[in-house]
Amino acid sequence: MADSTLILRGQDGVEHDIAIGADGSVSVAGRTITVRALRAGELRAGDAVVWAAADDRTRWVFFNGQVYVFAVERPGARPRRGSGHAGSLAAPMPATVVKTLVSPGDRVRAGDVLVLLEAMKMELPVRAAADGVVQAVRCRAGELVQPGQDLIEMAAEGA
Amino acid sequence: MESVAVYSDADATARHVLMADQARRIGPAPAAESYLNIPALIAAASAAGADAVHPGYGFLSERAEFARACEQAGLTFIGPPADVIERMGSKIAARALMVGAGVPVVPGATPSDQSDDGVVDAARTIGYPVLVKASAGGGGKGMRVVRDEAGSREAIGAARREALAAFGDGTLYLERLIERPRHVEVQVFADGAGRVAHLFERECSVQRRHQKIIEESPAPGLPPAVRQRMCEAAVAAARAAGYRNAGTIEFLVESAGGGAQFYFLEMNTRLQVEHAVTEAVTGTDLVRAQLDVAAGKPLPWSEGTLVQRGHAIECRVYAEDPAAGFLPQAGRLLLYREPGGPGVRVDSGVVEGDDIGVHYDPLLAKLIVHAETRDHARARAVAALRSFPVLGIRTNVPFLIAVLEHEAFAAGKVHTGFIERHLEELLHVPAAPAEALAAAAAITNASRMTGRDAGRPDPWEQLGGWGR
Repeated sequence: MADSTLILRGQDGVEHDIAIGADGSVSVAGRTITVRALRAGELRAGDAVVWAAADDRTRWVFFNGQVYVFAVERPGARPRRGSGHAGSLAAPMPATVVKTLVSPGDRVRAGDVLVLLEAMKMELPVRAAADGVVQAVRCRAGELVQPGQDLIEMAAEGA
Repeated sequence: MESVAVYSDADATARHVLMADQARRIGPAPAAESYLNIPALIAAASAAGADAVHPGYGFLSERAEFARACEQAGLTFIGPPADVIERMGSKIAARALMVGAGVPVVPGATPSDQSDDGVVDAARTIGYPVLVKASAGGGGKGMRVVRDEAGSREAIGAARREALAAFGDGTLYLERLIERPRHVEVQVFADGAGRVAHLFERECSVQRRHQKIIEESPAPGLPPAVRQRMCEAAVAAARAAGYRNAGTIEFLVESAGGGAQFYFLEMNTRLQVEHAVTEAVTGTDLVRAQLDVAAGKPLPWSEGTLVQRGHAIECRVYAEDPAAGFLPQAGRLLLYREPGGPGVRVDSGVVEGDDIGVHYDPLLAKLIVHAETRDHARARAVAALRSFPVLGIRTNVPFLIAVLEHEAFAAGKVHTGFIERHLEELLHVPAAPAEALAAAAAITNASRMTGRDAGRPDPWEQLGGWGR
């Protein structure tokens, strides 16, 4: 009997409905798998040894040399909106802004470098995904930016 | 011998600090204010009463200025003399020296006019494709491939800025790009009495972003005659440089044709990240030998007594996302377990619960395996990586397994474009199996089932290293 249910969304966008029994059995895709803890973070799922970790709304699994990352979705919850709104360029990781190369009103072409970031001594150019006009520059040189933080707001050409 | 570690604020509880007999703070997290801060390092060494300084293999390890500052402070620098670092660190001087010693070099030049126009002119003279590099650098920092005139200015600007940021010197060097070369290097060692020995080669062709991720020894399929000529050239190079202590001569080897022509690329005047591969196949301890030589003792071995036995492979485990262009990753190591067993060595700088920041290189650990043959070493590396779970942050562990299992790698068909060429296959992730989903769903519940943490709402609190 299901104790609780859970929806996990994989990196590929596929959502999985999972029922968890009080006895440690987990039902997924028509199979019932018994999960036992061997040590902290080390589990036996069916016949396989699997490592797993949880962090806020993310579940991490290491199985057969692969890493799987799942977002925990509440039943009925809609997928979370991506970071930043349409037409904005966001930082891909924590980084320092080396310099901004555009100003509001600038017309840019797809592939143009708009902002230079630096992380771990590597330069990371942030490029325009499409032709457009810069609406706003939301970062400045020297600033430490976080993943998903908007750097540049863009509007499509002619919009 | 007692060891004294130095640390920045970002590393106050890092593994190297916990392992050392003493530890000294040298400054805040940014490397320029701590690990690259020569006065702070010298002051820490003097205050600790240190006799000698081992510069490691990053940061100041190839800075003549640092070697000189150590000597002036009465500290023995465990490495070559400062003037040798200087000479070999300058691509121009090193090249001239190699030409004089009869070691083959790749066509290239350092433009005397270092303006954008001057560098573009020089690129045109050498002929595209051209590699733009930091004259002072290594490790892929400040390095760009320029295929035509159109892309040259952006690449030159970026290379110069990276060079300035990483080495404090924006001078650029250009050379003809040899397509699909192999990168094979020879470990050399010299003592104060002028004895020079080589410890054979390492194949370091599997690279991304011009940085190695898998190294091995011996180099697969290298004809014995070529190996011998390369090792002899490396010894001649070290002799010409007036070298002392551990160093590496890097060569580009043209994989095309049966001739396997090789060219001097550069000399690394320090211990390499991948030195453990050589230690495994030669049965040596290179760091101890470094200490011996720095103390004025002779080389602990001579060339005739060294052999390559079996096969060793090193895999560098990086905090990075191969699917996102190998972008470095930051975050907390929710779970980190190292493999072990016969022929398996792990050199690492992290423990479970550590926060991986953005300040330094994202190398987490080095896995080194040793076995009788290359195939056995490959299988051992794959088995070890399958028992090397790192969660909470993306790493290249699955990617390393994919490389080791790729048929072209298995056949020894490696070159520096290997990853780029096979990227799509290497990034393939199978759909999540039911066991993985079950574990993901059960993880919080499952930990409670151990009974050890009854009453704790968060099972992760029981993991060590989080108390900060």
